[in-house]
Amino acid sequence: MSLLEVKDLTVRFALESPLQARLAGHRRQVVTAVDDISFSVERGGSLGIVGESGCGKSTLARVIVGLVAPSAGEVRLGDVEVGARRDRATRRRIQMVFQDPGSSLNPARTVGRTLAELLRVHSMVPSGEVERRCEELLDLVQLPASVLKVRPQRLSGGQRQRVAIARALALEPEILIADEAVAALDVSVQASILNLLADLRASLGLTLIFISHDLAVVRHISERVIVMYLGRIVESSPTARLFEDPRHPYSRALIAAAPQLGLIRAPALSGEPTSPLDLPPGCRFEPRCPISEDVCRQVEPALIEFSGCSVACHVAQRRDGATHPRTGAS
Amino acid sequence: MSTQPLLSVEGLGVVIGRGPQATRPVEAVSFTVSDGEALGIVGESGSGKSLTLRAVLGLLPAGARREGEVRMASRGETTDAHSLPPGMAMIFQEPMTALNPTMRVGTLVAEPLRRRGLSRREARSGAVKLMREVGIPDAERRARAWPHELSGGLRQRVMIAAALATEPRLLLCDEPTTALDVCIQDQILSLLRRLMEERGMSLLFVSHDLAVVGELCDRVAIMYAGRIMEVGSTDTVLMEPRHPYTDGLRRSAPSMVDPAARLTGIEGMPPDPRAFPPGCRFAPRCPFRQADCDEIDGSLAVAGPGHSTACIHPGSIVREGAGAP
Repeated sequence: MSLLEVKDLTVRFALESPLQARLAGHRRQVVTAVDDISFSVERGGSLGIVGESGCGKSTLARVIVGLVAPSAGEVRLGDVEVGARRDRATRRRIQMVFQDPGSSLNPARTVGRTLAELLRVHSMVPSGEVERRCEELLDLVQLPASVLKVRPQRLSGGQRQRVAIARALALEPEILIADEAVAALDVSVQASILNLLADLRASLGLTLIFISHDLAVVRHISERVIVMYLGRIVESSPTARLFEDPRHPYSRALIAAAPQLGLIRAPALSGEPTSPLDLPPGCRFEPRCPISEDVCRQVEPALIEFSGCSVACHVAQRRDGATHPRTGAS
Repeated sequence: MSTQPLLSVEGLGVVIGRGPQATRPVEAVSFTVSDGEALGIVGESGSGKSLTLRAVLGLLPAGARREGEVRMASRGETTDAHSLPPGMAMIFQEPMTALNPTMRVGTLVAEPLRRRGLSRREARSGAVKLMREVGIPDAERRARAWPHELSGGLRQRVMIAAALATEPRLLLCDEPTTALDVCIQDQILSLLRRLMEERGMSLLFVSHDLAVVGELCDRVAIMYAGRIMEVGSTDTVLMEPRHPYTDGLRRSAPSMVDPAARLTGIEGMPPDPRAFPPGCRFAPRCPFRQADCDEIDGSLAVAGPGHSTACIHPGSIVREGAGAP
C-alpha cells in the first residue's frame, strides 16, 4: 500500500472582487488551482512535481501538508484520511521545507530556540535531552553545534536552508516536502543541499516530494515525475522515461525549453498559459499546443495510464494505442 | 577581431567608503565587447557581476566610486561614472520593480522617443511598433495597459521595448530571465538573439546561470569575489575550463545530459568583500590549491586562443580528468 495517496483532489479559491462588482451583485470569480488530481507515493520513494508558476504545484503541497483545506477529494496517509485539521501526531508525519528560509525562520529567535520549542511542544524527547537532540539535528544537516546560538540573519542562504531542513526533521516526519527548496540558492550551494536531501532520504528512509520549476534539479533527485499544467496533471512517468521519451507535448516543450550549451533555436513554445479564470472547453494546453487536433478543442483529455506512464493527451494516447474512455459529451 | 571593440572596460573597480574602511567589491575588471557580440558575465551572488554592470552604465549607488576606464567606440572619451552613456540601455531582473507602476506601458516605451524630439503622436505609434517588434501580441491595446496588468514575460518584453526606444548599440542585461518560467525564458532568450541579429546590437548579459549564458552568449567571463577568473569563447570556457572555479560551477549544476552523476558542489563560502584573501581569491576553496596560489595578483594570463585564466595551475584541472566533457 502506498504511504501517501491523493485522490480526486480539487482546490478552488474565490478571488477578491472590487466592491462595485460585489454591490452590483456579480458573483465572485473562482479559480481552480488544483483540478481533480490523483496520485500516490510509495514509502521511501521520491516524487518530483514540475510545472510553471500558477500550475498549482505549491497549492498541492500546501494541501498535503495541511495548510490549505481541499474543496473536494482527499489526502490519505497510510490508511487514514488527513484533512487540514490534524492533531499533532498526524501533522508531525508530513513536514515541509519552503523556498525562502530567510522568511520562513523566525528572525527573532536563535536556531536553538526554534528547534527546542518544536521538540518540547511535540514531546519528541525527554526535556533533559532537548539540547543534545538539537545538536544531533544540526549534525544531521552538517552544521556545527555553534549555529544553535545564532539568529538566522547571521547565516548564509545555504546554512539557513539547512536549518530549515533540520527543523522539518526535528519532528521525525515520514514525508518531507521541499517546495522550491533550492531555487533561491547559488548553484554551488544548491548542489550541497541536493546531496544532503538525497543522503537524508537514504539514511532516514524519508519519502521525498520535491517541487520545482527546474527540470534538471527534479531529474536529479526524483524517481518519478509529475508534470502539471494549469491545475492538472498532464503526464506522470518514471524520471528516465519522461526525459528520454516525453509523451505529452507540454512535457516535451518544457524539456526542450531548458537552456542547453550552444544551442540556439526557435522557442519551444509560443504564447503564455491561458488564464485559469477563462479555461478552454477542451484541453487546457490546446491554445499553445503544436500538435492539437479538432478533438482537443472540444473534449478535455483524461489522464490515462499506459505501460507505467500516464498522459493526458488525445494525440499521444492514440499514438500509444491506449483505449481511452472519452469523458464528457463530444 | 582587429577593429576597435564597441565597449572596452579597463581596470574597472568599484570602491565603497573611504580611507581604511573602503572596500572594493569589484576590482581590476577588464573586458571588451565587439560589435554584434554577446558577452556573458557569470557569477554567484556577491561576485560583483551586477555591480560591474552598473559601473559600466554609470548607475552606481550613492557612496560608490568607480575606478578605471569605460569606453564606447562611438565616442573616444571615458564615460561618466554617474550618468547614462549614449548608446547603452539596460534591462533588469524584476520588471515589476523596474517599470514605473504609475505609467501606462505605452507611455513608458514612448518616453525615450519623446525625449528624442518626436511628437506625442509619432512617439505613440513608434512605441506600438517597438512593442510589436518585441513580440507583444495585440500591441495597440496592450499599450494602454498598466504594468501590473501584464504577465512577467510581457513586462520583460515591455522593458526590452523601452530599452530599444533609445536605439542602443549595447544592451546591458541584469539577469533578465531569472524571474521567468522556463518556456518564457526560452522565448525571451531567442527574442534577444533575434534583436541582436536584426539590429546589429551587442549584449552584455549578466547571469548566475551557466546554461543560459551558454545558450545565448558568444563569449563568457566568469566572476568570483569581484574579479574575473576566466574569460573566453563560451564553448571553450564551459567545455574545457582552465579555472577550478569554472570547473566547480559546471559540476555543481545538475546536468540534463548526465543526470545520475553526483553533484560535487564547491566547499566553503565566497569570501566577505571586506576581507578578501590575499593572492588568488578562490584559493581557500580550491581543490587544487598550491603554496604559490597565495602570492599571485589575480591578473589574467593567456590559456589558449582568445582564452584567459587567472589560475596559475590550470593544468591541474585537466589532470583530474574533469576537463573532458
